Amino acid sequence: MSKILNTEESNGLVIISTQGYLNKDLGEEIQSLANNYIDKGNTKFLINLSQSNIVNSIGASIMIELIETLQEIDGDLSFCELAPIIEKTFNIMGLTKYCKTFKSQSEAIEALG
Amino acid sequence: MVSLADINQLLSKKRNLDSKLIQLREYLGENNLDFCFFSLSKTFSKRFEISNFALLDDYHQYSFFQDKQFGQIDKDTFKKLKKLSNFDLKKKGVISTIFFSKKPVALIYLFSRKKKLDQLNNICQYISFYIESFIREFNLQSKFNDKNNILQGKLLEIESIFKITELLNSHNQNQKDLYQNILIYIISTLNASKGMILIKNTNSGSYDIITSMGIDDDSFQKKIIRDTKGVLRDLKNSKSTIIVDDVKNYTLTNFSQANCLASPIISQKNLHGAIIICDKETRSGYSSFDQLDLRLYDNITKKISLSFDNIVLLETLSESKKSVDNIMSSISTGIIQVNILGEIDYINSSALKVFNFDKDQVVGNHYFMIFEKNNNLISLIEKTEESKEIIFESNFDVTDNKDKKHQINLTISPVFDENENNSGVVLSFEDLSGINKVKSTFKKYVSESIVDELLENETSLELGGSEKEVCVLFADIRGFTALSEKMEASKVVYVLNNYFQSMIDVIFKHNGTLDKIIGDELMVLYGVPLKTNNDPQNAVKSAIEMLFSLDNFNKKMKSEGLPKLEIGIGINFGNVVSGNIGSDQQMNYTVIGDNVNLAARLCSNAKPGEIIISNSVYNFLDNKSKFVKAEPLSVKGKSKPIDNWVYKHKISIKL
Repeated sequence: MSKILNTEESNGLVIISTQGYLNKDLGEEIQSLANNYIDKGNTKFLINLSQSNIVNSIGASIMIELIETLQEIDGDLSFCELAPIIEKTFNIMGLTKYCKTFKSQSEAIEALG
Repeated sequence: MVSLADINQLLSKKRNLDSKLIQLREYLGENNLDFCFFSLSKTFSKRFEISNFALLDDYHQYSFFQDKQFGQIDKDTFKKLKKLSNFDLKKKGVISTIFFSKKPVALIYLFSRKKKLDQLNNICQYISFYIESFIREFNLQSKFNDKNNILQGKLLEIESIFKITELLNSHNQNQKDLYQNILIYIISTLNASKGMILIKNTNSGSYDIITSMGIDDDSFQKKIIRDTKGVLRDLKNSKSTIIVDDVKNYTLTNFSQANCLASPIISQKNLHGAIIICDKETRSGYSSFDQLDLRLYDNITKKISLSFDNIVLLETLSESKKSVDNIMSSISTGIIQVNILGEIDYINSSALKVFNFDKDQVVGNHYFMIFEKNNNLISLIEKTEESKEIIFESNFDVTDNKDKKHQINLTISPVFDENENNSGVVLSFEDLSGINKVKSTFKKYVSESIVDELLENETSLELGGSEKEVCVLFADIRGFTALSEKMEASKVVYVLNNYFQSMIDVIFKHNGTLDKIIGDELMVLYGVPLKTNNDPQNAVKSAIEMLFSLDNFNKKMKSEGLPKLEIGIGINFGNVVSGNIGSDQQMNYTVIGDNVNLAARLCSNAKPGEIIISNSVYNFLDNKSKFVKAEPLSVKGKSKPIDNWVYKHKISIKL
């Protein structure tokens, strides 16, 4: 089943780890969680997709919406541990033009922290 | 002080029109200018999400709005505008109509007590142009985005088709994983929320859900799914992809909240499975799949249906290969297959063991390289390749990867394809190392011919506690105890070892089995472990030859200054109990019983150079002339005296 596995904060960076199909339901769950953190003042987010093996265009478009929201408050969204097919979908949807992607969570934390 | 540069900067900061207008109103208000924006169309208001400014929905009854209005507001317009809005309009205000695609969509109003009419007109005109160009740009951007979204969607569809083609052509995954990956790609490509693949069980005729996503499989576990009703019946009849709208009427789709797409998997014109996906996702919730989705879905699933036979064939091939590999791994014969190019295509585990090879080093490499330490083997393979005839070599020496020598029985056979063209050679061989070890161990107890026969015909070996007809021979050195007391211990051992070696050579020559050596006494069996038709005859022949052999032995001993030996032999034939006798800690294979005891008694009665045989042995002899009937012997354990025959040896050589 698709779900958010874990959420943690590291030096102001909010790390959200997911599992399963990144579709409308999971996308909205991530968006809602991120909005709660934004309301608290967080602006930097990292989504770890190591346990998500597939995405659809609705899930990707919700991520674009989240990027737009973060751009308005000078924040940013990054992704790590993307499956090749997810990376390809993000590229096609133009999502990777507006966000950073990292091979591993540790690499992302080092670059974003 | 109002400046057009400030207005431009201000308007550029905000993204949407409503925010831009609010910002503008605040700025102009701070500079004592009344600003108002009137939307003339509900569609326009909705498109630009204008919620903070008036909508003059009834403006169309006033024809003057259809023309471009610009400049100071006239009396007539002023009156009508007043009627349409609650805004505090001033007669000396200026207006400008905003047009888009030749239609009026909005109106802006500007008033200031401190500004001259020209100044007001300039500001109003600038704002009007800015808004018109923003609307045009926004519209173009929207169209571009729409087209871009369509292109992105198409790219994803193409990517998915590529990926599914790749999956269908890949041979390194099992059937279940393949179907699971296919389902994932179809679901994500069509933005479905769930789905399943069903495959027909050829034994039961019902359908099994081979993989699913987002569906509670347990709800189907106890259901028998057949193609006589529901979605599968429709697919069976139509043999084409369908949209299922009445989802609640079908067991397979009643969990769906919108509609489903279902496609058949056809093999040889019959339904063999189905792919079903459900509930298209949109930002606003689930929606129904339409004809465009159906077209794409049909395109993808037809590929899968066309590949179905290949998928099944590959799975069957894979299982057959595993089965052959298992068989080949379990046999002790080494097998190596060399293809027409001289490369090794296959090697089984027994062959790997003999040559101490690592499979990865061998497969795919030329036999020249693999057998570089075995030039003789390379020559034989070449010979087979040239002559195309089977070659057999027994006790063939090979060297393994760690330079250890092995002996093998080797067969090299040419292989031919269905057109009888040579397609390589196959080497099959038995490692003789183990057999040789067994032979050398057994050879201490039985003759080599018996070992060979045992190894070739394992069924002839019958071990266990059972009654058997056996001929038992005892041979004892006469007066050896007294003799050994006069000799040094080392010389006693030397004499005995030489004596036993001479005797055992004779025993094995006649297929006797050395049961045991008790001090200076030999106990020999004929008929175990292998029974023959002439065991008593062999025993007698052994005994006579032993006496002749002893003559030669004594001659040798004399030449070495050692004393001569004299022996007496007793032989009996009859039923004995054979088996492993002893305790858990130590046991020996031997024979026991009256007939064994009788043989021992006959031996103890034999004088030096005599062979005493019982009646049962005598009856078997072809040539009885060498034996003379003796007085019946009274032996311990027997109530009646025992009939016996004696052979008296005459020394054959001059000592």
